[in-house]
Amino acid sequence: MKQDRNRKITVEDLLSLKRAERPPAEFWASFESELRAKQLAAIVGKRSWRDALPRIFTTVYRYHLPFGAVAALALTWAGIHYSSDSVDAVRMAPSVSARPSVRPLVSVSPAVQAKGSLDRPRAQSPVASPQVASAPVAEASSSVSEASAPESLKAAIGTRFSDVVATTLADFRENQPELARRDVFSSDREFETTVESMREAAAEPLAHVDPAAEERNSRLLEAALPAIGPSSGAATLASERVRQRASNDRMYESMDPYESSSPSLEIRF
Amino acid sequence: MNASKALQKTLVVSPERKLEADADLAIVRRVQSGDVAAFDVLVCKYRERVVGVVYNMTSNREDAADLAQDAFIKAFQSIHRFEGQASFFTWLYRIAVNSTLSHLRKNRMRSFFSLETIQGDDPVAREVLDALTDKTGAGRDAFIGELQEKLNDAMQKLSINHRTVVTLFEIDGLSHQEIAEVMDCSVGTVRSRLHYAKQLLQAELQPYLRQ
Repeated sequence: MKQDRNRKITVEDLLSLKRAERPPAEFWASFESELRAKQLAAIVGKRSWRDALPRIFTTVYRYHLPFGAVAALALTWAGIHYSSDSVDAVRMAPSVSARPSVRPLVSVSPAVQAKGSLDRPRAQSPVASPQVASAPVAEASSSVSEASAPESLKAAIGTRFSDVVATTLADFRENQPELARRDVFSSDREFETTVESMREAAAEPLAHVDPAAEERNSRLLEAALPAIGPSSGAATLASERVRQRASNDRMYESMDPYESSSPSLEIRF
Repeated sequence: MNASKALQKTLVVSPERKLEADADLAIVRRVQSGDVAAFDVLVCKYRERVVGVVYNMTSNREDAADLAQDAFIKAFQSIHRFEGQASFFTWLYRIAVNSTLSHLRKNRMRSFFSLETIQGDDPVAREVLDALTDKTGAGRDAFIGELQEKLNDAMQKLSINHRTVVTLFEIDGLSHQEIAEVMDCSVGTVRSRLHYAKQLLQAELQPYLRQ
């Protein structure tokens, strides 16, 4: 005991007392039963989607390299695909718009034309088109006097551009008559005619009521009042009143006080 | 075996631990193949250690029981994801420690401490207690209770991470490498935290120390 009293006591020794702390035996019995109940609940209970999130993230993290490679390939393919489409569109647009304006504005020498036709088999080649398309602008700027203001230059360019648009539309209508008639290039008159006919159809729903329907209504009304009987005077009076009211309503609705069908408004006293 | 390879990475690789990891992996494979009852073997094997770790981190018996049960349930639910890259023991400890850390962070202000009985059959504990007091009977029990309270207070004054490192190293006997794996930090961080925590404990428990 005397030797124990002279023993060095360190922090590690004191912490070893914590290691010796153990719960009593009954604690383990309740621990076991509670754990079994929780385990059964975990087996039977349905797991929510939130519990599946860590597993999804783990799977994604595990296969992040293949996923990344596939995503990069898909992005590359999409980029190449859409960029080729847009390049084609850019190539087509100037060639269509520049064709009519080139003829009167630019005079290309036959040698240059031959060289261009040899280099590029298509008549309006995509590379040549921007150069040709810029020619009207250059000519417009050169046609304006050197002392003129920038506004006049802009007006000249705007005029040229409107000419180009008009000729392009004309070309389009000429080459694609079906599309030009059906699409946005169709005339406003056609649209108005269509809408007018639809409006007329929806304006007067009672105009389509035929006399047979009117007779059917009066017959149904007679059947709805069996106590009076079809031949009784009161029923006849009631059906006559209803018919009269319906005809009056229809008359008022059919009346057009302003007579909009006529081109001018006539006020009568 | 994968478990053996994983254990070779730790600083303390004893043949017993390798054998233990291989045996655990065999049981885990049985559970993965559908033998649910085999999980009870793992529960019986590790429940005292897991409860001990959680108890020393929370200083509360009820919380320790709940958190240890939750750790076993989580391990059971996700045992199909265990591939044997680490030992089952380390994996289970990581689940328990992470659950306890999140519980402590959520309930920072709540502190209900409970004391467990120091087992008299532990030779080291008996030797330390004999060195600290020559009292017997009720006086000795009172002294032990007071010392336990002081120890709990000192532990609770540590930060959560420092307390965890001290618990895993000094009380549960894990190596620095194993603690680093469990806490998902570097070995240097573990050593630094351990050094700082011991300095704080030394200052708090100065009346009971004898140089």
